[in-house]
Formats: sequence, structure tokens, C-alpha cells
Amino acid sequence: MSQSIKLTINNQAIGPIDVGDGTMMIEFLHEYLNLTGTKFGCGAGVCHACTVIVDDEQGMSEVVRTCINGVERFNGKRIRTVEGHAKQNAQGEITALSPVQQTFLEHFSFQCGWCTSGFVNESTALIERLERKPIAKDNVEQVIEDALGEHVCRCTGYVKYYAAMKDLILKTEGLTLS
Amino acid sequence: MKPLYQYHLSRLVKARIKLSQNLLLTLGLSLGLGLFACSSNAADEVSTNSSDIERGAYLMKIGDCVACHTAVGGRELTGGLPFETPFGAVYSTNITSDKDTGIGKYSYNEFFDAMHHGVGVNGNLYPAMPYTSYSLLSDEDTKAIYAYLMSTKPIKQANLDNDVSFPFNVRFGLKAWNLIAHDAEKFAPKKDKSEPWNRGNYLVNALGHCGECHTPRDSLFAMEQDKHFQGAVIEGLEASDITPAELNRQNWTHDDLKSLFTEGYSRKGTVFGGMYPVVYHSFSHLTDADMHAVSSYLLDTDETIEAKPLTFNGHQRELPGYNLYMGYCAGCHSQNGEGRPNVAPAMAGNATLDKASPHNIVAVMLKGIKSQHYNTTTSFYAMPGYADQLSDEQLKDLSNYLRVTWSNQPGDVDVDTIHDLKEVIFEHD
Repeated sequence: MSQSIKLTINNQAIGPIDVGDGTMMIEFLHEYLNLTGTKFGCGAGVCHACTVIVDDEQGMSEVVRTCINGVERFNGKRIRTVEGHAKQNAQGEITALSPVQQTFLEHFSFQCGWCTSGFVNESTALIERLERKPIAKDNVEQVIEDALGEHVCRCTGYVKYYAAMKDLILKTEGLTLS
Repeated sequence: MKPLYQYHLSRLVKARIKLSQNLLLTLGLSLGLGLFACSSNAADEVSTNSSDIERGAYLMKIGDCVACHTAVGGRELTGGLPFETPFGAVYSTNITSDKDTGIGKYSYNEFFDAMHHGVGVNGNLYPAMPYTSYSLLSDEDTKAIYAYLMSTKPIKQANLDNDVSFPFNVRFGLKAWNLIAHDAEKFAPKKDKSEPWNRGNYLVNALGHCGECHTPRDSLFAMEQDKHFQGAVIEGLEASDITPAELNRQNWTHDDLKSLFTEGYSRKGTVFGGMYPVVYHSFSHLTDADMHAVSSYLLDTDETIEAKPLTFNGHQRELPGYNLYMGYCAGCHSQNGEGRPNVAPAMAGNATLDKASPHNIVAVMLKGIKSQHYNTTTSFYAMPGYADQLSDEQLKDLSNYLRVTWSNQPGDVDVDTIHDLKEVIFEHD
């Protein structure tokens, strides 16, 4: 059995397209759209590598794991994946990374890169939350821990991801209260 | 005709209002009359015999002392775990052998009075301490537990002050409560029942104190013995109806209960909420013989029960809950509800779905389930809560879909019920 799915991914309208019932979102991204930047890790919602961002019409966002959520959950929604953050020119060439991507590069945050799609999306959503609601500088480490604590990384051991985010948050105007 | 769960819900709300009124009345009685009820035991000695201590350690586990007397992240038996009551927070106490902050100074008589009558050396205990069940313990077993606790390493950790509001912080009122609500009867085996059944009765009702959560409480907060094990709401979750009639209706077998009490999951689903520490600290340590005794008592038979096929009525794609299930649930619970080992329980045969009340279905969907670890080969990752994602309409649709697809319960949950349930479920948050 299949059903018609229509959604927006990285500002691009997708569908209507027939998708088998209960197809996991990550399979849809990989096999139907060739968006393979979102990585399949544990397949059980534990490692968070497959996290994407879902935006609502009020400008609020939530992060969702695509390995344990079916495409039905995303029908009609606006999605951002790791492919959608960098700026691109008309030819589709990347002209600038997002601040989160850039800080991860500068801090050598990842090694094999398998967990990076999840870290980038979760961190991007965190930065956007802080833009709406800045926090005291003293709370930065805790907020990072709260946001990224469930993400599993087996290479660089988290410190470089966390340090990168702390650096970005503290140096970006408007994310912390002066 | 109103569904049965709506009756239970309205009953709960009424009971809560009456509860405070009656307790005030009880307190007034006690202050006026100076009631006092306590007895002491003759013997006053502590055994240092290693077999007594070992037996006491086992009994202490089955009595589940650790789960309540250990704070999250705290050292075992040093107390500090909060209990949310309608009157404020009560904290468990240090029961290591430390003489200053623990129970090291307790004589056996004083320990007996605490265990059987709820009277500690510093005054009456709140009935969060299940002395109303422990009073059924034999003297011999009480002595063994005492011997074990006195053999524990003394750990100095001061007890936390309870945060109970006036007038319930006046402990004298508990004497009157004990007089009215606590019947310190002796455990008496039933002659027409088998030996395992009687042993199970003792383990479940005295040591396991299962009735403290699974039996509804009256307006005086005492267990309603005529509704023994018929289920009650505790901290937003429904402690299930575990009467033999209900367990047999759901086709629990001895093996199912053993599996549930050993590893937290079974053919009939998993434990969650307050039952996880019960299984982890307590029932998973039952000997095989005691495990069989417990299941014989709970199922009211020590004979083999045939495991019937699990219920799966097939998908109905036209129902609004279908896409919600596929979108939110199928990733872990599988498309046809088979579940995944160490990740998520099966939907087919799941006892939580096959209950008259949708209370726990809604509670779990809203708040999720914390991760659980049992041993090196058995753990469960957390289930996410969807309080911010699912509307009341969606919760209603999904509850009904789960009920009609994997149980024989009707899909009669309405939005008003979801709304009422949310009030109870989030009451202590």
C-alpha cells in the first residue's frame, strides 16, 4: 500500500509522490530524493545522526529523528536537512558554509563525519532558539549539553563539538545576554 | 452509556476533594483525643548469623527497600527520594546502620514498630512507608531484615526535611490515621489454597507491598480492601488492575509474568514508570520458586496457562489514527506492531492497550518512557514523549487506533476524555 506525499525540503517543493506506507523518512530522503547527507546510524533513534529540522508556519522548529519516524509524519511539512544550510550560487555551488558548519570545521569537531548531519541540524536549531530567546553567558555550557547531550559521536569525543558551539554562541551577537 | 474509564476518572476527582476534608477531620480528632496506638515486640536482639543476614538481604530486596530509600544518583539505602503526595513532598530516610543519620540506634523492638506500626523513634512515619503492608511480615522475617540492615555499612547522610503543609505536617495526626486506617493483622495462610499460592500471597502483599500502588485509596487515603488490586492512579500513571480476573482476561501466563518481572518485558508488554525500579531492584531477584509462587497468587492458579495468539485485527487505513501510527510509532513498534527487541515492545497483545481505560496509552504518548537498564544484555532506550507534537484530536485518534487494532477494546476515546486525562497526567509536573 502506498500514499501520496507532498512536502517541502530545503525550500524545494517535493511531490505529490507515492510512497509506501510506513517508509521511514531517512529511506525517503535517500532512496526517493537522493539526499544522502542525513546519515543512518543506529536505526533505533538512539544516536541522533539522522536528525533533521521541521519548521512550522509560525517560524518555530523542532528536531526529528528520521530513522524512527515515518514519512507520514512529515507530510505537508517544511523540512531542512544538512544539504540545505550552506549558501549556494545559481549553479548549485557552495559559496559559504553556515556559521554552525564553519565553526565545526574550524574546531576539527568531526573526524569520520557520520554523526555530523545530526550535530549540524541540532546545533542550527539551537542557534535559532537563542536568537529568539538569548541566554545568560553562564548558562551556555548547560544549554549546549542539553541540546547535544543525546547525540552520539565515536571519533572526536564530543569536546570539539561542544567547544565549537560555545565559541560560536559567545561570539555571535544577540545569542547571549550582556 | 459512559465508558468505564470515565467513571473511574470522575471517581478519582471526587475522591481527591474528599480526601483533604477527611484528613483534616482525622487530624482534628487526634489532636482532641490524643489517640495513641502502638505495640512492641518481646524480643530485642540482633542476629549476627550469616545465614540470617543473607536471608534478610534477600527479603530486603523483595521488600524493595532500595527503590524508595535511594535517591536518584544517591548511595544505596541512604534515602532522599521524594514522594509527591497531595499534601506535599515526603522524603525517604537513611536506613543504613549509621547511628546518627540512619537506623543504627534502633533496637529490634523499635525497628519492629516502624515496620509494623509506622512508629519510628522520632515519631509516626508517613504511610508513604508501606507499614500497612509490612505489618503482615512474620516476626522471623522482620528479624532477618533487621539483621541485614544492621550489617550494612553505616553511611552518614542527613535526612531531608519533609515539605508537607500544615496541618499534615503535625505527625500526631498519623496516630489517629493508624487507628482508623491501619489494621495490623497477622498474615494467615488460606487452607484451601496451595502452598505456592500462599507463599505468593505473602510475597506480594506483605513484602512486595503491591497493594500500596495497585489498590485504590479511599477518602482517608487508606487502601480500599474491597477493591484490592483493582488499580489506582499514582503520579500521573495508572497502576494496573492486577486482579486474577483481569490478568487472566488479558491471558497473562506464568512465563509472561516471569519474563516481565525478570527482564522488564514480556509477550504482554513492558513495565514503565514506577514499576521499573520495582523490577530492577526487587522482583528480578526472586528465586524461581518464589517467582512461581508470585505468579500463582496473581493468576490464582499454579497450573499452566495456555498462551493464546496475540491480538492483531489488521490495519484500517481509512481511520485517522493510521497515518499517525505509521508516522510516529511504526519506526520502533514496527508496521504491524511486532516491536523490536531492546527498543520497543510489541503492540500485539500489549496489556497497556488492552485495558478499559486509555489512561496509560495517553500518558505514555505524552510523557514517553525513560530508558531502562536491566543487565548487560537487556536495556531499553527511551521512548520520546509527544506532548508538544500531538494535539488532543491526534491523541484521541491514535489512542483509538491502537485500541481497535491491537486489542479488543472499543475505539470510544473522545477529546474530552483526553483533556481530562491530561489534567491528571500532568498534575504533578
